[in-house]
Amino acid sequence: MDHGLRHDVGARVINVSYPLNKILTALAKAHVTRDRLSDAELAGHDLGEAEKTALLTGDIRRLYDLGANPYLIRRVFRPRFPI
Amino acid sequence: MAEIVAAALASHAPLITGKPEIARPEQRERLYAGFHEMRRRLAAARPDLLVMFVNDHLQNFPYSNLPAFCIGVVDAYDAPSPGGSKLMRIPPRKLRGAPRWSMALLEAGLAAGFDFAYSYEIDSWDELAVPLHFLNPDGDIPVATVYTNCAAPPLPTLSRCHEVGAFVGHFARSHAGASRVAFVATGGISHWVGTPETGRINPEWDHWVIDHIERGDVEPLLRLTWEQIERDGGNGGQEIRNWVALMGAVPGAKGEALAYEPVPEWITGCGTMWVHA
Repeated sequence: MDHGLRHDVGARVINVSYPLNKILTALAKAHVTRDRLSDAELAGHDLGEAEKTALLTGDIRRLYDLGANPYLIRRVFRPRFPI
Repeated sequence: MAEIVAAALASHAPLITGKPEIARPEQRERLYAGFHEMRRRLAAARPDLLVMFVNDHLQNFPYSNLPAFCIGVVDAYDAPSPGGSKLMRIPPRKLRGAPRWSMALLEAGLAAGFDFAYSYEIDSWDELAVPLHFLNPDGDIPVATVYTNCAAPPLPTLSRCHEVGAFVGHFARSHAGASRVAFVATGGISHWVGTPETGRINPEWDHWVIDHIERGDVEPLLRLTWEQIERDGGNGGQEIRNWVALMGAVPGAKGEALAYEPVPEWITGCGTMWVHA
């Protein structure tokens, strides 16, 4: 059976950060909106240094580049968006 | 056996109802007129079931469990929930589901090789609540949903979405649980949401999509890759998967644009189309 795998093996893999999306999902479900997160809000989450910095500074471009889902970025960091 | 009495495509965005006052009045009125015309035609078609091709925005399906395709088998949809109603400025309400029809679709799909997930509880965001505010204001038509992952890549191919739609169309025609079925797909067209380019709209791409649907020429849409859509239609443009699924459900049909407005204040290229099924 041809599973079609050979066509896409080696193709770019979409960058997804599960730790970022996990914390953002929890905050979105709690209807939290922030300009930037606090150390207390990051406590207990398994995040890398770059991810922590992006969350603590509310750097939406960096969050996006690190693999945070844009829908979650918008819900949590709504004050960062002019529209 | 059922008759397909209507098919329609519409953008969804929470600000369409949530902040109508920030859009330019002429754009808002033209777009609202499109929704009202769609409502008029839908009412005239007298459907006894609305089958909706829609997508979640990570409010139901989190990264711990993300189905590519999910059948809603719920008794009633929050459309919107009390939380969502604040943003969309629509009173919270429950919309009747069609759990028996949906369960039959689920079972038939699994038997035919469409490995749907299913959910007994769905908190609708703008994918149902906003368009149905216009199209099903009295909530008197039960709703069945086919959710496709358009928001958390990697995503199913557009070709597969078309195949899923074709199966749903075949099932709807052959199942006795409804006699007059209307298909409605929501989402798109171009919009960038939550990305560094938030607010961008690409009317040229939107017209390209609309033109192909008006001609019933969906093959070029099926060949679009995630990267191409992300570049030309933005992350919100990925939602045209729902439109493509609907076109699969009504093979050979041609669309008719009722309204199109690129509304920067609502950060969405907003379209409404009737599909002559």
